[in-house]
Amino acid sequence: MEIVNKKLTDAQFDALRPQVLSSWPTGGDVDFDEGVAFHHDLPEAKRFPVALDQADQARRVLLQPRAGVALLEEHIALLQLLSTAADVLPTTIDAYTRQNRYDEAQKGIDKSRQAGHSLLNGFPAVNHGLRACREIIERVEKPVQVRHGTPDARLLAEITLAAGFTSYEGGGISYNIPYTKKVPLQKSIEDWQYVDRLVGRYEAAGVRINREPFGPLSGTLVPPFMSHAIAIIEGLLALEQGVRSITLGYGQAGNLVQDIAAIHSLRQLARHWFEAEGYSDFQLSTVFHQWMGGFPEDESKAFAVISWGGAVAALAGATKVIVKTPHEASGIPTGEANLQGIMATSQINSMLVDQQASLLPIVQPEIERIRREVNTVLRAVKAAGEGDWATGAVRAFAAGILDVPFAPSIYNKGKLLPVRDNEGAIRLFDFGAVPLDMDTRAFHAAKVKERSTTEGREPCFQMVIDDIYSISKGRLVGRPR
Amino acid sequence: MNTHTIVLGVIGADCHAVGNKILEAFFTQAGYRVVNLGVMVSQDEFIDAAIETGAAAILVSSLYGHGEIDCAGLRERCIERGLENLVLYVGGNLVVGKADFGATRDKFLSMGYDRVFQPSVDLDGVLELLSQDLAARAGG
Repeated sequence: MEIVNKKLTDAQFDALRPQVLSSWPTGGDVDFDEGVAFHHDLPEAKRFPVALDQADQARRVLLQPRAGVALLEEHIALLQLLSTAADVLPTTIDAYTRQNRYDEAQKGIDKSRQAGHSLLNGFPAVNHGLRACREIIERVEKPVQVRHGTPDARLLAEITLAAGFTSYEGGGISYNIPYTKKVPLQKSIEDWQYVDRLVGRYEAAGVRINREPFGPLSGTLVPPFMSHAIAIIEGLLALEQGVRSITLGYGQAGNLVQDIAAIHSLRQLARHWFEAEGYSDFQLSTVFHQWMGGFPEDESKAFAVISWGGAVAALAGATKVIVKTPHEASGIPTGEANLQGIMATSQINSMLVDQQASLLPIVQPEIERIRREVNTVLRAVKAAGEGDWATGAVRAFAAGILDVPFAPSIYNKGKLLPVRDNEGAIRLFDFGAVPLDMDTRAFHAAKVKERSTTEGREPCFQMVIDDIYSISKGRLVGRPR
Repeated sequence: MNTHTIVLGVIGADCHAVGNKILEAFFTQAGYRVVNLGVMVSQDEFIDAAIETGAAAILVSSLYGHGEIDCAGLRERCIERGLENLVLYVGGNLVVGKADFGATRDKFLSMGYDRVFQPSVDLDGVLELLSQDLAARAGG
């Protein structure tokens, strides 16, 4: 049977729940009512949706790092350190937990204890269990979000939300296509309907939990219209299950005009589509991810990339910015390096946040282009699903209507090929099976032609590879050497 | 010229796909027969593929920091399964955190890898080393 975008009934949810909670022993500690009571007692300062709302009201940008280590005490100490500069905090989950490989996560915990430092790239929340997760919330004075990359995140959600986390990243598309190889899309969308329904149950019990689909996807030259279309679909799927606080994301592309236009159009388009589909009482915010691709190794150069991301987040008026670190080229940063990334972002952010309005006229044509592309793609997805967004999403990926560049999933066509134009904006070199109209195609083709003329070479895969490495090598457009 | 088969993949629970796709394009263009296993590849999948295709080398990638756990024991497992002459490379961000590369290289050399690379390595240089190492194995 094909998946449909329909709110899970209590009977359906309750039938699934025992199996979810018994998939690892720590699931046995989850008590929904006790979790609700704990949430009700949380001070406002620890509630994610409140922080997002206040930031949008005050027109300021929240700063959030990524962070997670193998052991509880070290993880809490890390968050307490970052809390001195960040507005909202993460608990980034390790890659074994993300694939539900809890045995291996346990091995990582044990080896980390022996080694005296973390051998895992995040905090294995399921293995540590509810009490440990609760301790994070109790001992950290700011809102904390679960950030991960988990196709089946049901148990992780049950444990962390009952523990008091007030925001949960991910979605059935955005945590499948870029994060795994062979999980069927239908399965991950179903599993995320469960997560969204769980959040909906908290909402119904008077506890607002924020949900954030993962915007940047593969983080590699993703054209804004594609990540917007997917973010809006995930927003619609979440709304249907009763989620009311939604943050949609976008990963920095590098071209100023395109990036500002992307954040503006994301907010406008999401509101439009959510309302057009009959949802009204939602709280919508945006998150801008600093450059998600390869970073320069040199730390001074890395700070420039970080600061540029901080600048654009402020000029675009995003609700929140996810901050990178000077250690990005080498992977997981120390707490101190992480803190430095936040401080650099904070400085440039507060210098620019009042200068948003002057740039709006300049980005208007790009907003119009993105709007047209997103609307075309979303209408095609809806048609593919005969009116149903879940069916439509699965069929659209199979047909290549939705297509994420450089994603590992076998359920992604991978025919859409992006390339930068002469000013570094992301355009399309090969449209794959994405059903864009003729005028849009002509625009992209002209932009790519302009660059290839400048460089004296035909558009080719090497040009795309040059663009992937360009920022780590000190420029935006991957010109021939 | 003898066309060698090489096996590529990203080990463990790692889903970093971009560099892997670029390596596939690069080595294919250089004339190798490339068996690309993509992301999230277990040690046994690497070995199975090498046996099935008669590969001369396995090139392991790890970008997410768990390399220390995922990569240990691969050389021994290759030998156990009869792949005694295999060239074994590893590259990426192999440990958690910014570490001295010399120490990381020594750690992975002692695990039995023939060469250890950072993400910033020049691929043309790798091509040269690979061709030397394969020639040396064939000669020995």
